[in-house]
Amino acid sequence: MRFVFKTDYDQDIRLLKHSGYWWSYGVLLAALIAFPYLVGSYLQSQIVFVFIYAIVGVALIILTGFTGQASLGHAAFLAIGAYTAGFLQSQGISFIVYFPAAAIITGAVGAMVGFPALRLSGIYLVIATIAFAFIVEEILARWESVTHGNEGMRVRTLDFLGQPVPRDGDAFYFLCLLVLVGSILLALNLLRSPTGRAFIAIRDSETAAKSMGIDLAGYKVKSFAISAALTGMAGVLFAHKMSFISPEMFTLLLSIEFIMVIIIGGAFGVHGAVLGAIFIVMVDPFLTALKDDVPVLGASLASSLGMSSEGSGKLRDTMSAIGSAAGLKGAIYGLIIMMFILFEPYGLYGRWLKVKLFFQLFPLYKKATFKRQKTYVKSERNR
Amino acid sequence: MRSFCVKAALLGSIFSLAALPALAQQTKVTNQGITPTEIVLGTHQDLSGPIKSWGVPVTNGMKMAVDEVNAAGGINGRKLKLIVEDVGYDPKRAVLATQKLVEKDKIFAMLAPLGSPTVLAAQDILLEAGIPQLFPVTSAEFTYKMDPKNPQDRLKFNNVPPYTESVRAGARHLMQEKGSKKPCVMYQDDEFGKNVLDGFNQAVADAKLTAASVTSYKRGASDFSSQVAKMKSDGCDLVVLGTIVRETVGVMAEGRKIGFAPVYFGSTAANVIEVPALGKDVTEGFYAVGGMEIPYRDTSTGKAKEWAEAYYKLYNMEPNTQSALGYNEVMTFAHYAKLAGKDLTGAKFLAAMESGDVFQDIFNSPPVKFSPTEHLSATVYLLQQIKDGRWVVLKRDLKN
Repeated sequence: MRFVFKTDYDQDIRLLKHSGYWWSYGVLLAALIAFPYLVGSYLQSQIVFVFIYAIVGVALIILTGFTGQASLGHAAFLAIGAYTAGFLQSQGISFIVYFPAAAIITGAVGAMVGFPALRLSGIYLVIATIAFAFIVEEILARWESVTHGNEGMRVRTLDFLGQPVPRDGDAFYFLCLLVLVGSILLALNLLRSPTGRAFIAIRDSETAAKSMGIDLAGYKVKSFAISAALTGMAGVLFAHKMSFISPEMFTLLLSIEFIMVIIIGGAFGVHGAVLGAIFIVMVDPFLTALKDDVPVLGASLASSLGMSSEGSGKLRDTMSAIGSAAGLKGAIYGLIIMMFILFEPYGLYGRWLKVKLFFQLFPLYKKATFKRQKTYVKSERNR
Repeated sequence: MRSFCVKAALLGSIFSLAALPALAQQTKVTNQGITPTEIVLGTHQDLSGPIKSWGVPVTNGMKMAVDEVNAAGGINGRKLKLIVEDVGYDPKRAVLATQKLVEKDKIFAMLAPLGSPTVLAAQDILLEAGIPQLFPVTSAEFTYKMDPKNPQDRLKFNNVPPYTESVRAGARHLMQEKGSKKPCVMYQDDEFGKNVLDGFNQAVADAKLTAASVTSYKRGASDFSSQVAKMKSDGCDLVVLGTIVRETVGVMAEGRKIGFAPVYFGSTAANVIEVPALGKDVTEGFYAVGGMEIPYRDTSTGKAKEWAEAYYKLYNMEPNTQSALGYNEVMTFAHYAKLAGKDLTGAKFLAAMESGDVFQDIFNSPPVKFSPTEHLSATVYLLQQIKDGRWVVLKRDLKN
């Protein structure tokens, strides 16, 4: 086990706390940079979706994980970002301009949504954000001169200062990576700043935060605006990755998917956004691969165990028939999510921390280490 | 220093893409997925999402056709292999599934993928890889309209009747035949409904009339009393319905309740067996335009009857338009792939598709053919009406 000997107050807020961080994140970054040269476009595409979902995940963690404000309206923020990109690009405006513009516009809309949030909390806030998402969906369908309504809108290939950046190319991958790394750094820096501390204070107890002189209204609006702006940037990337956007792509289901990202990943740390995004995006392709490969493997295993070729062929057919049964994937997916909520509310990142601690403290690990002490919440139960 | 290196690497990689070669004017077309014994085809369907009432029967029909082609010895000795991916009407999953099919399964062609947003999000991947996108089950214009500046657009083919054109032809015919004075339209407030509305407006202009009433409803609505009451007070004598199954029945039932009995006419979306099955006597007399005859098990004849019986036996489901469509898409592919000859290549297949050779299906549908300038084959439609709970074909040569 490593003991960091602190000689400086700065060490408390340093992002890379000791040399182990340099190594592990350095290797991760190197792997991510090498990735597009090692894998095909199918896997690369999955990773790009992971990046985009992770950016939204980081945005949601700032809002939900740090500030404690739930939102089921993030698909709408994504849509605003995507449509801003699509529209401005069709007007001949450069990516350099519309990328920040999408963030600013979405951030402004986010701030507007933040105001009603001042008076709402818990389930009522969720309802308000759902309502907001419906309003946005409706506007997208109606405002035909800009959004082309329900017919949807083609988004041309991203043009970076005259250079085309095709959505399946390496450059697009790096762009998404860059935005993700940027938003993670933003979130981490936010966390160690007074603003981030205020967010966390609001999450833990609004009453206590207020009595410490924190301006609830201002910080809640700020949190909504930052979260929305990040999601807007993800929306630009999403629009280019999809190359076609229509209002029916940004429904409540997508918002729920985003919430699942942080529930599965773990809402209390930025790691959760990435882990959750990996899970949400890659489970489906993974199950698809299983559907294709497991029956073949099973059959060859059976024949090596002495099964006749006819018998193993039959086994393969049966297994692939089970594997391709419609809705099986959805069932597995739902089961995994239920298991997470029941048995690991801290998400994948929480599980990782527990496993790590178990080995660090072996054999002294105590389950109760992670038991959440929330006695102070009792006073706010009826809020 | 470290972050500088990272930035330099990123910038370098962005600029290295600058050296992309200019697009050649020749259509790039793939030869992957063709082996001496096999042709690999891919499709993405909705087997578990909101439009699985289409995805499941289309897939069933396709699988049945593949088995039939293979049982008859395949195409010039090559067996068909169809790989189906379920994407649940999610464009993200459609993009990933398409890349998987292209890259991992090495498909030769994408056959009959389902849904507008799903097909459109994935379309460029296919075209850039030189893989033909054949007969998607959506009539969006992007799936057949070719941009002369983009040679890869030559890979798009479609044979599903577009809503706008088919409604225009059918509505105009009915307006003239019934001597309509006050045509009206009621449509679902989405892409599909808007296409029907466009078709209606064109038909009204063709017939030199003016629309007496234009109303709409939200997707998922189940109460149409205000719209029907409005149409009654506007004195509509012909109502074009941009509705699907449940709404069609709902509107006609409401009309009957308040004593409003105009001529009702629907799009291809309502030309399915579910409408009379659900509507019973309420939908009697309902007209609709369609791309093909309904493959009833008991009244169809010849090969269509054999097919319908075999379908029922195999899947224990009544055959419907969707399953016949899926079956036809594979058969159409098989026809042109056979025409391309023994030494099948992508280029030869494209040439065969554009040769103008006619494919005639077993359901007595209008013939299918393509040309180098026309990649949409469905330009002739059928006018059908519900009589005694069944769809009956009235006219076979509706055209614009």
